Amino acid sequence: MPTIAVDAMGGDFAPEEIVNGVAQASLSTEIQCILVGDESQIQALLNDVAYNPEHIRIHHTRDFIGMAADPKTSVRQKRHASILVAARLVADGQADAVVTAGNTGAAVLACAQHFKTIRGVRKAALASVYPRQTEYPGQDQLALLLDVGATIRCDATELVQFALMGSAYARGVSKVPSPRVALLNMGTEETKGGDALVHAYRRLKTISGINFVGNIEGNDLAKGKADVIVCEGLLGNVVLKLLEGLADVVVDLAGTAARENWRWKLGLMMLASGFGRLRDLTDYAAYGGAPVLGFEHLLIKSHGRSTARAILNAIKVAAKAVRDGVTREISTAIDQL
Amino acid sequence: MALRRTRRRAPEPLAPIIYRWDLDKTYLKSEFDSLRGLIRVPFEKPQDKVAVPGVAPLIRSLREVAVDAQRPVRIYFMSASPPQIAKAIKQKLAMDGIEYDGIVFKNQLQHLMRGKFRNLREHVGFKLTELLKSRQHMPAESREVLFGDDWESDPIIYSLYADMLAGGIATDNLDGILGPIGVDRRLVALAKELAAAVVPADVVQRIFINIERRTPPKDFRAFGPRLVPSFNYFQTAACLFEEGHLTLPAVAAVAESLIGGSGYSPARLANSLADVVRRGHLRPASAMTLRGYLQTRKLLPEHAPDGVRPSLWERLKRRLQPQVSTAPASPEAINYETLIAHWRAAR
Repeated sequence: MPTIAVDAMGGDFAPEEIVNGVAQASLSTEIQCILVGDESQIQALLNDVAYNPEHIRIHHTRDFIGMAADPKTSVRQKRHASILVAARLVADGQADAVVTAGNTGAAVLACAQHFKTIRGVRKAALASVYPRQTEYPGQDQLALLLDVGATIRCDATELVQFALMGSAYARGVSKVPSPRVALLNMGTEETKGGDALVHAYRRLKTISGINFVGNIEGNDLAKGKADVIVCEGLLGNVVLKLLEGLADVVVDLAGTAARENWRWKLGLMMLASGFGRLRDLTDYAAYGGAPVLGFEHLLIKSHGRSTARAILNAIKVAAKAVRDGVTREISTAIDQL
Repeated sequence: MALRRTRRRAPEPLAPIIYRWDLDKTYLKSEFDSLRGLIRVPFEKPQDKVAVPGVAPLIRSLREVAVDAQRPVRIYFMSASPPQIAKAIKQKLAMDGIEYDGIVFKNQLQHLMRGKFRNLREHVGFKLTELLKSRQHMPAESREVLFGDDWESDPIIYSLYADMLAGGIATDNLDGILGPIGVDRRLVALAKELAAAVVPADVVQRIFINIERRTPPKDFRAFGPRLVPSFNYFQTAACLFEEGHLTLPAVAAVAESLIGGSGYSPARLANSLADVVRRGHLRPASAMTLRGYLQTRKLLPEHAPDGVRPSLWERLKRRLQPQVSTAPASPEAINYETLIAHWRAAR
């Protein structure tokens, strides 16, 4: 059974929700967790909940990197910050993967500092998952978007590598045998988007082990045309933030409308169960987190606002990826390039 | 100058030790959680009954260690199950190699015949009076260690019993404590009568509660440090070692049975040991002794889990900064009225 190092001090609701999530994992799974953080705080929180101590180890460190801290400076100054220690435990072979809901930049830097890059991989990618429509039976409710911020600009080779890494991860974790891979572009034609995208398109078309479906545009992101969407970090980050912002606006608009007009309020009440189902489908807690890909070890980055349920699911995702040998799969795919 | 003769005094004999065990959910993994399980229990054959992992070697070791130390020892079992299942239980204990000095069952039929249906589910009165009755026949200097679980009211029953023996509860107060629980008035009267005959002495050394229902540890804080909630019998064995009831090989026997017979790994045991230290029920020095011995027997991982050692400055800071207390509350008199209300509300 895999051992997952969990950054107990990272996240908006850390350490309470993180510790609760690990406690839930200890009761419902056989996964071994190492909680990295302040031992006395963690134990005080464990005392308040049901847990199985046989599956929990605590690795003490008092330092942590705050959500708003500058990643580069913090990583340099706080050598014993919980996220860095968690990554070190994995590098030392004491754990198999890391889960964190903490500072994203620090998480990526922790990987870069302690994990070796997979042979042949030029840049690591930060992935994210988001809910969308499905087009065929068995298709995952969530699409994988990468890179969403580990890089700024990428060349064609790097985009091709992202596609291979994303495809291997989706195969392992989503159990989609042949995930559809697409490039995010300003048009569907092969010649759109500049040199990097054009070259990436041409190379992906020739790779046999990947189900490349071409370019997709922004308006297709919410449809089920692709399971893995590849783009450079700058664009991916803008898309991700736009999706999150839109969701907030919709919720806000509905709330305002309900306050201002009783008919709207009544209508929203009648649609409540439908909204509930929609919320379940789009609930970030249900998918736990998304990986940083390209290193020999895996880090699952959960949403900063992660609750115990999100952490539990992130731990399950990490364990599943370890069991399925996702990094090995990525390495094999990169070797074939 | 007169020669002073030094006379070697014979070592004082150790006070007899009594180990009292609850049966269901403490010794046996009884399935009371579902109606199906409840119906099946009376028809189970001895070989179908399953002991809680590690409990049988623990009890065997408790007797062996006491006998080796020439300490008088008695082991008793108590069950709220009806005497109709006694035969199967006794056979199961024999199969597990458990020698015991007495076992008592609850005569449910008697309550049915009398129409006392509430008494069928109410066990506090039954267990408390049986404990007090049994105590009457024990040597006054004998010490006791009690074992129960968190399924029903063992923490309350055992704590009440311990405090009654210690003279910490006036018999007049028993009505106020037992009445709200729904204890039969006749049993309350009997408990008062038995308690009045007790010569006050603090004889209950420790109460171990097997956390079978995964009750959060904080729910036990109000019972004080005498009560040790333990997640498995390896934790219990570690605490019993610290108090001299078990030897290192005896703890190893419990660990071996958990690894060999119940699918435990050395890492799981190491985590358990660290947990019981963090919760303040086992001293770090005792844990270190145990760890050293069990590592040589390959029952704990060879390397200490602290692979990434904190810096000297970090260790110093850790010592200087105030720690959040995780240890049990200090031994104060238990407010049973409040405690019972909270405990039962949480069930």
